Amino acid sequence: MERNELLNMIKEEQAKNGSVSEGAMADMAQILQLPIGDVYGVTTFYSFLSTKPMGRHVIRICKSVPCFLQDGAMVAAAIEKELGISPGETTSGGRFSFELTNCIGACDQAPAMLVDDEVYGDLTPEKIGEILNSFD
Amino acid sequence: MGDVNVVIDGEKVSGPEGNTILEAANEAGINIPTLCHRPDLTPDGNCRVCVVEVEGAPRLVASCHTPISEGMVIQTRSPKVLAARRTVVELLLAGHTGPCVTDECAKDCELHYLAAELEVGPPRFQVKKRRSYPVETLSPYVQRDMGRCILCRRCVRACAEIAKKNVFSMAYRGFRSKVVVDCDVPLDKEACRDCGICIDYCPTSALTKPKAN
Ligand code: SF4
Ligand code: FES
Repeated sequence: MERNELLNMIKEEQAKNGSVSEGAMADMAQILQLPIGDVYGVTTFYSFLSTKPMGRHVIRICKSVPCFLQDGAMVAAAIEKELGISPGETTSGGRFSFELTNCIGACDQAPAMLVDDEVYGDLTPEKIGEILNSFD
Repeated sequence: MGDVNVVIDGEKVSGPEGNTILEAANEAGINIPTLCHRPDLTPDGNCRVCVVEVEGAPRLVASCHTPISEGMVIQTRSPKVLAARRTVVELLLAGHTGPCVTDECAKDCELHYLAAELEVGPPRFQVKKRRSYPVETLSPYVQRDMGRCILCRRCVRACAEIAKKNVFSMAYRGFRSKVVVDCDVPLDKEACRDCGICIDYCPTSALTKPKAN
């Protein structure tokens, strides 16, 4: 297998286990004959890949300009209030992780957030409560 | 494989196909400053200190990795080139810490030399938060102070291409970019031998020999 297989392997691992552990990185390095550091480098380059274990659902709030102008800070505050965690943290039961991310391509619906692969736009604090309640 | 003819700073120069602008210029005794490049490493083109102007090209090109082509007319010291080069060095300096910044007489920092050579003035760019990392002192062979690193990747290439060890990799992105060992652990003596090649290739004081104790 070639080095250009690496990103696919990492994505598969993330899809399967929710994050990419050091053990998994070491295995991929072994298979592709790469330094572990190169696998770690690719994994940490992408904000949608994670080397830390994540919650069952990952909430990503856009911190880019269009959402910022549409009061994106309100979204982050609402989530912090609802879940009691700050960006970069996971709820104690492992239900949600909360991350800030760059533009998610939903500027027309700003302020917006992603929960797992789903986009939720035109957010208000009330809507956020409802959306979060619909996840197990 | 005939020779390729170019004009550099008004001088006719020719060189074999595949040579870079930098190589052709050096051959003709024309000096172009470089930072991330070393003649015995694969060109990486990441620092942009070596930019030159090529007539008809839409933007400045990095001479260390741009091959010459027939009829190229190249300026290595035009006002546009000098201004860009200065800005590049200023930007690198903005994120750089180390003795050379505070101590005018500190030696051994190529960035500091470049700044002097290009007559870079007082700092124009402020960084909100300097990159700062604990100094790594575990290894008896190499001490790493990554707060001083300017991300030229010379150590990465020297270790891979000359020492054939692949101890260093690039991780993270943007402002958080960092030269790492494995999954970002401090360098110890397991992976690294005492060749010291990376220290020789580091342009700053980010990599040094640990003081004997
Ligand atoms: S440690 Fe030195 S050689 Fe390595 S990237 Fe940083 S400045 Fe360049
Ligand atoms: S020396 Fe050419 S880009 Fe760094």
